[in-house]
Amino acid sequence: MTKIFIIALLINNVVLMRFLALCSYVGMTSDVGQSVGMGFAVTFVTVLATAATWPLYNFVLLPLGLGFLQILVFILVIASLVQLVEFYLKKNVPGLYAAMGIYLPLITTNCAILAVTFENISNGYSFIESIVYAVGVSLGYLLAMVLLAGVRIRIKNSPVPKFLKGTPILFAATSLIAIAFMGFSGLVK
Amino acid sequence: MTTILITLGFSALLAFVLGALLGFFREKFKVERDPLVDEVRGALPGANCGGCGYPGCDGYAEAVAARRAAPNLCSAGGSKTAEAVAKIVGVEAAAEDLVSVLLCGGVKEKALDKGSYVGLPTCRGAKLSTGSVKACAWGCQGFGDCVEVCKFDALSMGEDGLPHVDYDMCTGCGKCAEECPQRLFAMVPKARKGSVVLCSNRNVLKANVMKACKAGCIKCEACVKICPEACIAMVNGIPVTDYAKCTSCGKCVEKCPTKCYRLLEVDVMGAKKKVPVLA
Repeated sequence: MTKIFIIALLINNVVLMRFLALCSYVGMTSDVGQSVGMGFAVTFVTVLATAATWPLYNFVLLPLGLGFLQILVFILVIASLVQLVEFYLKKNVPGLYAAMGIYLPLITTNCAILAVTFENISNGYSFIESIVYAVGVSLGYLLAMVLLAGVRIRIKNSPVPKFLKGTPILFAATSLIAIAFMGFSGLVK
Repeated sequence: MTTILITLGFSALLAFVLGALLGFFREKFKVERDPLVDEVRGALPGANCGGCGYPGCDGYAEAVAARRAAPNLCSAGGSKTAEAVAKIVGVEAAAEDLVSVLLCGGVKEKALDKGSYVGLPTCRGAKLSTGSVKACAWGCQGFGDCVEVCKFDALSMGEDGLPHVDYDMCTGCGKCAEECPQRLFAMVPKARKGSVVLCSNRNVLKANVMKACKAGCIKCEACVKICPEACIAMVNGIPVTDYAKCTSCGKCVEKCPTKCYRLLEVDVMGAKKKVPVLA
């Protein structure tokens, strides 16, 4: 279990090693607070999505022989799930909605979340393992977000060559962080 | 064939169930909100610039609907929005359309640098570490902090080293005025006519001003003397026009030896010559 978690969090970090969810990674890291909010919102939604899609696949799609409908069904389910959660939070937990709600529409179709739900299936994880994997991946996402947000503060106050200004320098910084993350590869045997 | 039918049926069922769920919960978890808020929100520009002092247009709409805020605070929307909002909440409002005017004429060739500056490439950083990168302690630092904060793309750094305001795009939200460490932006009503000094140098010695910048006000007070309406007075070392009296005769503009006096409607907002913009 720990192995699954560590692999998801560090060794196969969703952003830095597998280059998923790069759009929100670049878009939402201009501020550390913002990136933390986004990170936790993603964690929340990923776990929810896993908890919803794993039973759906194993108890509904598989018995019906509709495994090939996976992509369509998962996208639909995750999108409506996020919408439902948004309604619920708005009404019952306005504080949490104010903190997280603005990010929710952004992550309805985040590729990292979809990837987690697919991998849970293709790796043949049990339900508990799937949840652990989801938490690991999304915390890895949070970690990468906060790291880049920190680096971006430095970049903002540095004389960046004109041809690298903006997104290019961010990707350069990201690749350097990714190289650093390669050092984790021997962590689990 | 059966697979296709099952697929079709399943997809339809799923779509139906999800749609019904969403519709149901939308009603169940409906948040009661003053319909006035939505109406006010609809009348606002939605740029979330924060120029009104509230967190975004939603925050301002709530404050207005609860009568906690005046309807004319939205500078981005200007008088039109103020009128619309006032109509919705049923209050009279008067708002002027403001634009931001840079009170510095220190273009590269005229305002000398103190030395070569290597450090944070922001006005604020330069101001903190050197006092001023220009020989003039009051002048524009030219790193474009104001351009960065402008939410309406109204500001751009010109090749002459000064930020230039696009008066059609400027909404008068005042973000640039807040950001500028030299406080060089003045919020001016768009309809205002009259003369204005494009200099903020308050050094009283002519020689000191001349040394620093060839576009500076040298305190000769020729404008004060020549004004037929007697509407110009020196305030803190800078001539200030009384717009209630100014007739835009242009005599001060002609007389000014360093050409830092300009007419707002002709040389500032109506300026024909566009300065090339730095990429």
